[in-house]
Amino acid sequence: MTSRDILVHRHTRSSRIAISVALLLVLSIPTMPFWAPSGQIRMIVELSCLIAIAQMWNLLAGYGGMVSVGQQAFIGAGGYSLFALSAYGGMNPFLAVPLAVILPTLLAAPSYLLLRKLDGPYFAIGTWVLAEVFRLVTGNLSVVNAGSGMTLRAMGQFTAHQREIGLTILCALLLLVTVGGTFLMLRSRLGLALTAMRDDPVSAASQGVNVGRMRFGIFVVAAMGTGLAGAIYYMAQLRISPGSGFDPYWSSICIFIVMVGGIGQLEGPIVGALLYFFATRLFGHYGASYMIVLGLLTLIIALFSPVGLWGLFSRFRDWPWFPVGHKLQYPR
Amino acid sequence: MKWVDAVIQGLLLGGLYAQYAIGMSLMFGVMRIVNIAHGDLVVLLALIGISLAAAFGLGPGFIMVILIPVGALIGWGLQRGILNHLVGNDPLPSLIATFGLSLALQNLMLTIWQADTRSLDAGPLAIQSVSLAGIQVGVLPLGILAVAALLTWGMHVVLKTTRFGRALRASAADRDAATLSGIDTKVVYAKATAVAVAILGIAAVFQAARTTVSPADGGAQLIYAFEAVIIGGMGSIWGAFAGGLILGVAQVVGSRIDPGWGILIGHLVFLLVLAWRPQGIMSRR
Repeated sequence: MTSRDILVHRHTRSSRIAISVALLLVLSIPTMPFWAPSGQIRMIVELSCLIAIAQMWNLLAGYGGMVSVGQQAFIGAGGYSLFALSAYGGMNPFLAVPLAVILPTLLAAPSYLLLRKLDGPYFAIGTWVLAEVFRLVTGNLSVVNAGSGMTLRAMGQFTAHQREIGLTILCALLLLVTVGGTFLMLRSRLGLALTAMRDDPVSAASQGVNVGRMRFGIFVVAAMGTGLAGAIYYMAQLRISPGSGFDPYWSSICIFIVMVGGIGQLEGPIVGALLYFFATRLFGHYGASYMIVLGLLTLIIALFSPVGLWGLFSRFRDWPWFPVGHKLQYPR
Repeated sequence: MKWVDAVIQGLLLGGLYAQYAIGMSLMFGVMRIVNIAHGDLVVLLALIGISLAAAFGLGPGFIMVILIPVGALIGWGLQRGILNHLVGNDPLPSLIATFGLSLALQNLMLTIWQADTRSLDAGPLAIQSVSLAGIQVGVLPLGILAVAALLTWGMHVVLKTTRFGRALRASAADRDAATLSGIDTKVVYAKATAVAVAILGIAAVFQAARTTVSPADGGAQLIYAFEAVIIGGMGSIWGAFAGGLILGVAQVVGSRIDPGWGILIGHLVFLLVLAWRPQGIMSRR
């Protein structure tokens, strides 16, 4: 047998099925306003935002090795950008959504340059301080109505049906950009460097990966994706306030979803987001007791199963949804 | 005079932050671990203290005598049960685990004690004050600052002169070499965390006597402790003390400028130090 006989694959049957189904599902989201009740559309909008935000946190922590407990900084910044662009720029809110990533990007770059001086775990708390700074500054700025927050009045010009069409299109695009974009990036040369960094930053650096620059890039990209999701989420809410937009609870959600789903794997945040979303629908009314369970579950996963549910599943069945590696197949 | 008063009040407030910071500095210095539930443990101990005081009519001094061993026990358990399994080069597992613990603790406290703010009745001590060069200074805040200085000095002496301190410094410098020299690092770590949380028992009583506590306050206290450590310089016990005082002064002076800006000015001073002197003001480097 020569090396020529060995076939190199990326895709497997499971990945072809999963990617087709995922694309079909995402493309069907914009058709929902024509057949689904508004309640379901609201749920899909929320779920899409959760998946996007969690996937960005996964990119940051799982591949970049930067644990952030302050992603709410960019959720709030994205949301507030949209509201301000609509209120002061007089822009159509749907068209303003892509522009809402500018502020998170501009904030992320200097934030990273400041925070990179902090060592490992201190970096995480540093991100939290930044998010608090953004929250307090927003709460003191009268331009954005200080502590009382803003309302997206411009949405009044659209009918409920038009709003749903706009939101569902945005959600489909959000998923394509965050999940699809991460998938494509991980399959590129950049992805190889990222995966090497995930496995061992020091040896990645020795192979010529510029770890510092990669981390900077990831931090900014994650802020953009998170900001985009924040803008869409608060567009659906029609209201934003410093307390909600910069709520540290957003970080709890990210951490729970990614850790339980499976960190450092593209499938993890999707599995985790679905789990969190349906668990909250089922048990959310238990309030604080439900949150205790979420916290303990995160603790248990960190202690006993750092690979998360998807990692556990992968041990039994090698059925990847989004293959980023290669498979060798010997001829029969 | 208004500003002199603000600075003095700030120093006194900083005494409390310095108390939170000692334990964090110790744990990070020895294990490179940050316990995200650090602030929640202060709140938990304070609420236990308040409930004990209400149930048995105990004074703050008694409460402190009870909370110190309770804190040490919690710290020992935390290290043995959770953190010892996660110490390593990768900061992720310990961060995530303590984050989960923080979420669970906060909500557990919310179920037990509800969201009310509570405080500990310090009796006449709470309102006594002395006049220092024309500025009224509360006896209790002065005591808090003195205890913070005493704890920092004590920690310094323990690290420098005792067998336990040597073992701590050895484990911090090189875990494997310390193990080779016959130090059981897991036991050393457990003792370090026990000391860190026991000090939080002291801080909890002062926090509850000086202001109020509610189950959601932990996050802010974690952040203040962290800022104090970074402002002062990582790994320096006296640095954490100085950082706490600077943070306190920044917050009080800030809130005199505009009540909405106090905490924000504290954060900004932290960011400035990070930008200009990331090794901290007390670091020799």
